[in-house]
Amino acid sequence: MNALEITGLCKTYRGKRQKIVKALSSLDLTIAPGEIFGFLGPNGAGKSTTIKILMGLIQPTGGTAKIFGTPVINSASRQRLGYLPENPSFLDFMTAREYLAFVGRAFSMHKSDVKKETDRVLELLALEGAANRAIRHYSKGMIQRLGLAQVLLHDPDIYILDEPMSGLDPIGRALVKDILRDLKSRGKTVFFSTHITSDVEIICDRVGIIVNGNLMAVDHVQSILQSGIEGYVIQLVRDKMVTEEVFVEKERLKSFISDLSASDVEIERIEPKRKDIEKFFLDIVAKGEYVAVE
Amino acid sequence: MKLKAIFLILLISYGAVVVPFTDYLRNRPVAVKLGYTPDARILKIASADHCSLVAQLAIVKVLFYYGTIVEKFTKKIDLPVEHHNMFKTVNTALKLDPYNMDAYYFTQAAFTWEVGRVREVNAVLDYGMKYRTWDYYLPFFAGFNSAYFLKDYRKAAQYMKNAAELSGDPLFTKLAARYFYESGQNQLGILFLETMRKGSKDKKIQSMYEIREKALKAVSLLEDAVVRFERERKCRPSDLSELVAANILTEIPVDPYGGKFYLAEDGKVRTTSKFAFGGKEK
Amino acid sequence: MATFVNLLSANFRSILRDRIFLAILIVALLFFLLVPSFSLFSMRQVQELAVTLCLSTISLLLLLVSVLQGASSVWRDVEKRYTSSLLGLPVSRATFVVAKFAGIAVTLVCCTMLLGALALPAISISAAQYPSDIPIHWMNIIGAIGMDCLKYILLSAVALFLSTVSTSFFFPFFGSVAIFFAGSASQEVIEYISGDYGKSLTPAAKLVINIVYYLLPNFSAFNLKVAAIYGLPFPFKGALYTFLYFIVYTSILLCLSVWSFTRRELP
Repeated sequence: MNALEITGLCKTYRGKRQKIVKALSSLDLTIAPGEIFGFLGPNGAGKSTTIKILMGLIQPTGGTAKIFGTPVINSASRQRLGYLPENPSFLDFMTAREYLAFVGRAFSMHKSDVKKETDRVLELLALEGAANRAIRHYSKGMIQRLGLAQVLLHDPDIYILDEPMSGLDPIGRALVKDILRDLKSRGKTVFFSTHITSDVEIICDRVGIIVNGNLMAVDHVQSILQSGIEGYVIQLVRDKMVTEEVFVEKERLKSFISDLSASDVEIERIEPKRKDIEKFFLDIVAKGEYVAVE
Repeated sequence: MKLKAIFLILLISYGAVVVPFTDYLRNRPVAVKLGYTPDARILKIASADHCSLVAQLAIVKVLFYYGTIVEKFTKKIDLPVEHHNMFKTVNTALKLDPYNMDAYYFTQAAFTWEVGRVREVNAVLDYGMKYRTWDYYLPFFAGFNSAYFLKDYRKAAQYMKNAAELSGDPLFTKLAARYFYESGQNQLGILFLETMRKGSKDKKIQSMYEIREKALKAVSLLEDAVVRFERERKCRPSDLSELVAANILTEIPVDPYGGKFYLAEDGKVRTTSKFAFGGKEK
Repeated sequence: MATFVNLLSANFRSILRDRIFLAILIVALLFFLLVPSFSLFSMRQVQELAVTLCLSTISLLLLLVSVLQGASSVWRDVEKRYTSSLLGLPVSRATFVVAKFAGIAVTLVCCTMLLGALALPAISISAAQYPSDIPIHWMNIIGAIGMDCLKYILLSAVALFLSTVSTSFFFPFFGSVAIFFAGSASQEVIEYISGDYGKSLTPAAKLVINIVYYLLPNFSAFNLKVAAIYGLPFPFKGALYTFLYFIVYTSILLCLSVWSFTRRELP
């Protein structure tokens, strides 16, 4: 069974003067269990709309979405799921500990488990010190970390995270990356949206790029990186003194090296020069047209 | 879909409940309907600078309630009347707004004839005269009450003199003069009622005065007949039916309050209804 | 069910930690201390005044709590984006709305019990100072307080419904206050037009007034204060009808609230 299955998902709004705005047009996407999927797109591309439909917060105009086979209309679809909203906000009269206890009960966790897991996630996200303070006194970064804590609390099988890195300082970002890697190693499914390409490059198995409500590309990060190699920068040392750099195109590498073996030039380093995800992403946004997937 | 089904069931239940529910409300005892008005001191604080509005609302409530009594009476429904509560409510309104003429007018109309709380009414009118210093109606009411009900002709003359001075109307002077005669009580009452009826715009008050006038005219007719009987036969009739037997009257008039006229021991004509709505029960 | 209770207790706790709520409650409690001395204002009916003061204080507190809490419920959770974190849990929208309502209702019941428990000694003390010729009918007083509580639970359901369609405080607040006044007066109006005055109305106007009468919640039915103050016989049959009416009307409002909230798009 797929962890996430989206078929033909559409969303149109009525904007000003009855103008129809297409926020999402016919989105198809499946995510297998154990996958880390990055959902990349510029601001206003439809990332949040998709996630809100997955969470049942807004209703799609057409199409269906299922989480582990349960339609998202049904609140039971969220039983095995952890959700972190974009710029989250939690019942701010509670303390972090109270809120986590509340979340634990919402997932029907056992009382002793709630206690144990609360301590674990609070420690993991470095919130122990503030655990007994009301959330309304938290800073933005602390709220974001609490958001991650409540996601991790009941150890769900699928994680839907809307911009998990936003509002975090570099230490927090590194922490989130560690957490995501850990989830990956434990075979959990993660679906997260971002507009930061480097995050995707480091963490994700696959990436989907959405522009203006259209899913433009879905591919494995590794194959994008592979196919993106344009050539190599070769550092040469001539006469053991002078160092020079040469750019060699991908196809010419072999012949270049064989040519070189005849001379007395030594190769000090060969570096692939490739299009990174950012380039890939920017190209797609610029082209604005559909790229064949998979 | 489940929600729609539940909603449908609820709508049907609403229909089923609302019929006996509204039925019950419509037939609730009137006392409950007038409701309770909090003490004037509390209301005065609570209503801040809307005292007159709150007072007027209380009056409207009483008038409205009173209207239902008159209506129920004409439909021959007997219900105990909460006079005490009405009087209290009107008083509260007057404490909030001592200038409210509706309240004085209503007090005079509702609590003298039927309820007989004349002294209380005059106290209210005295209170009003301190505020409505220009108004001749209040001394006129008080004067009438003193003469007609309390038989205090000296006081009545004072009140009427006040009314005459304030209004400049010779009618009051004439009225003042008439109070010195004990006879002609009924004529005086009828004259008063006519004046009051013409001065009112409220249909319910008008109809109340009409009923009262009718009763009074009947009493006047009967008492005149009794006097004629005494003159002709040199003795008192033992029963009103003798008046018909003696061909002085063709029939005994009907008491518009639903009671029966009878001849009291002091020679006055009275009625079992005591000239009050719902008076039969007492 | 466990989810419902969990949410309900969270909502209840949120009200208990609301400063405005606490301020109102404290003022009401202080007022009860003053009832025995205030009721001496009345010369002829100390006991009646004490009963009135207690019942009115309870009414006023419940009115404020039901309107303020009801009117600031659902739209505020949407605006503060609590809904996105709460509905991200396995919580259906129907559960969310009903738990919200139940939180307010439980608060109202607790307030009623607390103030009711204080009202009874306050009335006894006042009545002992100047015994009245009317005996105190404790059951009537308790009945009137209970009916009052039901009335304001119904009002909070009205406010909650309005808050599910609103995006600000003003509409549900003023809307529920207006409905409260209209619903308290509708019975008098309908009786007025069924009398003489009604004859001068066109049938169309009469029809409209009748429709409005049946649409509005009838709050005057819940008023049993006079029976409590003057010790009139307690209208058991009427109270039963009113209770049934309360159940049905409140359920309809909750249904509408769930329906409107389910259709709502959340940020």
